Amino acid sequence: MDKQTSRPEAAFVLLLMQSTFWAIAGLSAFPFVLGGEVFEVGLGLASILLAAFAAVLAVGLVKRRRRARRWVMGIEITCLVGSLLLLVLPIGANHGPVSLMTNVGLPLAVVVLLRGKTMRVHFAAPTAAAGV
Amino acid sequence: MFDIAPDHAIGLYAGLLALPIALMALWLRPARHSVPGTVQAAAVLMTVAGAIHLGLVPSHLGERVTVALFVINGIAYIGLAAAFTWRWWRLASSALLLMTVFGYLGFIALGFDSPDQVALTTKLLELITLGLVLVPVRGEARPRDRAWNWALLGSGLPVLTLVTGAAIWGIGLATPDARHAHVGALLQASNAVATPDQVAAAAQLYAETKGATMAYEDWHHAWAAGYRPGGNTSMPSTHWMNDAYVKAGYVMDPHRPQGLVYANSKHGPVLLGAMFQMPHINQFGPDPGGPLTAWHQHENLCVTPLGLEFSLMTPYAICPIGSIDISVSPMLHVWFFKTSGGPFAVDIDSSVVAAVDRS
Repeated sequence: MDKQTSRPEAAFVLLLMQSTFWAIAGLSAFPFVLGGEVFEVGLGLASILLAAFAAVLAVGLVKRRRRARRWVMGIEITCLVGSLLLLVLPIGANHGPVSLMTNVGLPLAVVVLLRGKTMRVHFAAPTAAAGV
Repeated sequence: MFDIAPDHAIGLYAGLLALPIALMALWLRPARHSVPGTVQAAAVLMTVAGAIHLGLVPSHLGERVTVALFVINGIAYIGLAAAFTWRWWRLASSALLLMTVFGYLGFIALGFDSPDQVALTTKLLELITLGLVLVPVRGEARPRDRAWNWALLGSGLPVLTLVTGAAIWGIGLATPDARHAHVGALLQASNAVATPDQVAAAAQLYAETKGATMAYEDWHHAWAAGYRPGGNTSMPSTHWMNDAYVKAGYVMDPHRPQGLVYANSKHGPVLLGAMFQMPHINQFGPDPGGPLTAWHQHENLCVTPLGLEFSLMTPYAICPIGSIDISVSPMLHVWFFKTSGGPFAVDIDSSVVAAVDRS
């Protein structure tokens, strides 16, 4: 196990979970359309598209795609900043352990897993032959 | 679902306490170098999940079956976490994790427990652990049937997460506790049965509010007073809000309710009731009628910052993209049409609104 690292695979699992959470949030928006919240269609679809994109990026991580790593880092840092803002603002956002895990812990873990020189090196080499 | 049950909090502390211990125990074992980091992470998370289960034992001593399940689960988790070099570790761990998740869903479906934040946190840990157990890693000492593992992981884990979340959500909404009146509304704590004085006070509040707001039966008067529709008027009913009264912070003033509720009938808006709102979150208003006039606070709503479109936060504490999770300061409705929950009910019956809309 010396030369290989399983950090991209761990990030894959976390991103897959996050993608599922977004898909569930997207699906949960649709019943509200029946109650007259018509714009929830757009929010639901956007969430499901983001979930699909995250799933594609997760596969890219396993294949050690450099661009996938960059995109994931960008998305996770954006999520993290947004979640920290919600934590700080006095708008009554949920601060329970599940919210902290999914909105702060999970993106933070993905960033920690993929950051650093070692990971940059792992994602730098061409790895087209490595299938999933 | 979004609260921590008092008898479950200790489980969370046990899990947090177990985390550094598990990390240290792993660090002290040279055998960790023979397994991938995903396996090591799974072992640590299983120890935390085991500690949460064992931590719940003292607060459930009266429930023998539950205690037995917690002990078996906790010991099995910690035992498997320690045996991460075992040949059948992945199979045994996956089986235990799956049995625990499905067992819990059965447990709450049968009404033995209600989902709360500790349970959801544990399920979340278990689902992530399952993913880490199943994920194939490059250069492993014992290559596995990778195609099967990827297929199981890529489809099974999302489906299991969806099923778990949907079941917990459904059960949580179907069996709310005493203080959760309906979806996303936390009721003000009060005595169980209204005293004669409280009944009289509630009747007085109703009469004063109805008398003071009758002028707004003509929506033009409401408009002139500063009330504006706070949402889509194509829906069965719409709350009209008076921003000046909201900002002024009048407390349960029958002459200055912060909101009015209109049914959107084909003949135009029909006044259904009035609404008082407190200026700050978690600040419930005066409760002269006790349980009859209990305020409610909407929590865990997902709203778009640019409008009043809303949905509910999922059990995994995620909102649809473009919306954020908020709570709305406590409110008290006064309904002028007969509804099943009484004149101060959290909601007016949809059948009543539909009848007014059709009239």
